[in-house]
Amino acid sequence: MRGARDQLVTPMRVVSIGIILSVVLVAVAFISLSMGPAEVSMGTILGWCAGMGSVDQTTSMILADIRLPRILLAGLVGFTLSLGGVVFQALLRNPLAEPFILGVSSGAAIGAIGGIVLGLGFSVGVPMLSFISALATILLVIGISSRHGGLESSTLLLTGVIVNAFFTAVIMFFIATASDSRLHSMLFWLYGDLSQSKYIQFSVCLPLVLIVSGVIYFFSRHLNLIVGGEEPALQMGVEVEIVKWIAFIGISLVTGVVVAFSGIIGFVGLIVPHLMRMMLGPDHRLLIPASALGGAIFLVAADTVARMIISPSELPVGVITAFLGAPFFIYLLKKRGSRWNQD
Amino acid sequence: MESGLILKSISFSYSNHWNLDGISFGIQKGEIVGMIGPNGSGKSTLLRIMDGLIRADTGEVLLMNRPISSYRRHEIAKQIAMVPQESIFRFNFSVLEVVLMGRFAHRGLFPFEEKEDLEIARESMLRTGTLDLARRSIHELSGGEKQRVLIARALTQKAQFILLDEPTSQLDIRHKVEIFELILSLVQAQGFGVMVVSHDISLAAQYCNRMLLLNKGRMHRIGSPAEVVTTDTIREVYQCPVLVDKNPITQTPRVTVLAKRTAADIAI
Amino acid sequence: MMEARFRCHFSRRFFFLILIALLCCPLQARAATFLDSMGRRVVLSAVPERIVSLAPSITEIIYFLGLGDKLVGVTRFSYFPEQAKEKEKVGTYTDINLEKVVTLDPDLVIATADGNKREDVEMLEEAGIPVYVVNPRMVGQILETIQAVGDICGITSSARERVGLLRQRVARVEEAVLGRGKPLVLLVINVKPLMSVNRSTTHHDIIELAGGRNLAEDQPITYPRLSLEEIIRRRPEVIIISSMEKGGEHERARREWFRWTAIPAVRNGRVHIISSDLIDRAAPRVIEGLEEMAKLIHPEIPWQ
Repeated sequence: MRGARDQLVTPMRVVSIGIILSVVLVAVAFISLSMGPAEVSMGTILGWCAGMGSVDQTTSMILADIRLPRILLAGLVGFTLSLGGVVFQALLRNPLAEPFILGVSSGAAIGAIGGIVLGLGFSVGVPMLSFISALATILLVIGISSRHGGLESSTLLLTGVIVNAFFTAVIMFFIATASDSRLHSMLFWLYGDLSQSKYIQFSVCLPLVLIVSGVIYFFSRHLNLIVGGEEPALQMGVEVEIVKWIAFIGISLVTGVVVAFSGIIGFVGLIVPHLMRMMLGPDHRLLIPASALGGAIFLVAADTVARMIISPSELPVGVITAFLGAPFFIYLLKKRGSRWNQD
Repeated sequence: MESGLILKSISFSYSNHWNLDGISFGIQKGEIVGMIGPNGSGKSTLLRIMDGLIRADTGEVLLMNRPISSYRRHEIAKQIAMVPQESIFRFNFSVLEVVLMGRFAHRGLFPFEEKEDLEIARESMLRTGTLDLARRSIHELSGGEKQRVLIARALTQKAQFILLDEPTSQLDIRHKVEIFELILSLVQAQGFGVMVVSHDISLAAQYCNRMLLLNKGRMHRIGSPAEVVTTDTIREVYQCPVLVDKNPITQTPRVTVLAKRTAADIAI
Repeated sequence: MMEARFRCHFSRRFFFLILIALLCCPLQARAATFLDSMGRRVVLSAVPERIVSLAPSITEIIYFLGLGDKLVGVTRFSYFPEQAKEKEKVGTYTDINLEKVVTLDPDLVIATADGNKREDVEMLEEAGIPVYVVNPRMVGQILETIQAVGDICGITSSARERVGLLRQRVARVEEAVLGRGKPLVLLVINVKPLMSVNRSTTHHDIIELAGGRNLAEDQPITYPRLSLEEIIRRRPEVIIISSMEKGGEHERARREWFRWTAIPAVRNGRVHIISSDLIDRAAPRVIEGLEEMAKLIHPEIPWQ
């Protein structure tokens, strides 16, 4: 798609793309707000937002307590997963990397499933156990992979893959021995479930996401260099090890937090950064905010489909992202062969 | 001797391999030192030790009289620039973006380039003949073009010492000469100190002030090109039949590699 | 003299024939063929003395009929009644350990079409073990199943008595709710995701018999996952959460509903919990479940 590049990334470009994507995000959020088993017109929504017009209590409650928190959380989760995808793809210099690749997904899943088996509540107990478990997994993987204070990317990758595989076997065990009533909850969690989202979940995740995003953005230049090789980056002045430690831990942490509430939603961290890189180029100063916002848009849209497509029944959102993601990847592969270089 | 890049008694061991041992020399500003030696004699490793990327087992590397380990990476980057043999770019940055990466150490907190950076990049690309490649994607370039871009990138670092790892390996003869000319002009005009690793012994001999012949991790010979490049030393170290004579035009050592048959004929 | 010898031979032969016929008779009289709920012919050579149950519901039925002593093997989640816990385990009902069943040397295995695998049933038959498959869905079918099990175990009349008592209880409920309005009922069988039941389930039948209307009856999926919005839109008058006793999670789930005051059930404080054992299993306790449900759906009736 890009043979020649027209312009360098300037603050102006970052801001303008950022604004465009934000506008799209708000628009998608509004459309999502208007969709659901209970019909609510766009006009009503606009009126409701402006605080004008008479909106009956039921509709108001549906918008405020059911749809809006869910949209907010979907946006935040999409934002975070996409951010994680960009960063890991840069650090591991591997276009197939996702934030789950270090074991966050299976680690979180074991905690969540354990919580479900123990009968903990979905508001506090399950997310908490999920997060703690994710954290422990990250520490385990990093602990195994670090040598002399350095994090070797290939070791991290391998360890993450092995940990994921092992934990998945454990999860399979739980599923095989689960009683019916638990099974549904487990399966839904494993494919991502944003139903019954609450504002408190959003407010708990938001500060951490903002902080980590800020820190990561600060390292966007560093990531540009690391992508060309860790040694050249070192030669040019990047403190590669520090960047790696902060980025791996920060992203894994923040991914663990959002996944604790939403379950495992795959493909977002894989597709959106790819798409954005194809459209806007590999410079992380633009790619990071674009991917994050793109991820938010993507997940809000996917979640809307998840709850509308077999309405009034719902699908897990991970099913939708997989349905969208897998064909996209096949398309990419066919178009470009296995030459990932030609992004 | 104070303002140089100096190695003292460096040794470094790989597992199962011979070691780098007893390496002591220095590069001064304003000179070109050529490092030659067979494949696997430790040249690339030595370059990396000089840049502080690898920590030697014994000995020390001094940059401006301070051990290199006492510097932060971005400080080193402003003093030493390195041109690797090759670079793999997984994502399609443009040539200009790649060249601008060399400015990393000079950027403060503000993450975007300023006019000065663009000027410096432009100048570097002009000198390496890569200006017209500026908007092309790095993937589209030939091996030789890529090498020149990497050199341009190193130039933007505005470092005093430049280490080049086989910068001409992929270039045709015209571009080989151009690169060496470029290095020479940088040294003469701006007083850089340069170390070049090369397999083009004859060409390097025309440009280098001093040469260092490395063999199995040890310094076999160091001195002027005429001292270092002789039939005996080259034959012994490279283990192949050669004839080294003096180039009648340049008066510098000229290495001719002989076909085995010829060598047998003249009983070398 | 010739005639006398001839008469002697004839009567000896005749005597042996009669003897053999008499001996064969009892065997033929005891062997019985039954038709199970899947139309399969099950041949039992005698009244079963060693029975293996392949589902917790079947275990309950066997105890209810007073045949607990004849039970030699049950599945893992057979917790009711207490005595069942001591019986030998043959696996879970989706994953039977066929070897174990064969080792127990049963003369009758009772399986359910809803859960047990057809291959398992076929393998047991090949091993020469008679397998009787039940498939009760609606409450009426459950009662018939209990009777059928009593029949094949040779206690037809005592089974009829017991089942009769159950039928009376059902009739009492039906009578009491007759003519009254049918409140809209949401039965929640899973909290996250929110799941209910459609009309092909036992639960649905119970709700209907108890004088209610199942909110999710028209859903195409058997256990549909409903969105909260849809529930608010439909305004159920009673919400019943089916719970297993573990943890306080369902009490918590009950309180979670209190936010949605737009739902009549919530406004009028009609969010209740029912033990899932009473309505999940196609077993005699389903009648208890029915009575519970009826009390929750029609609290205005003066139940005894």
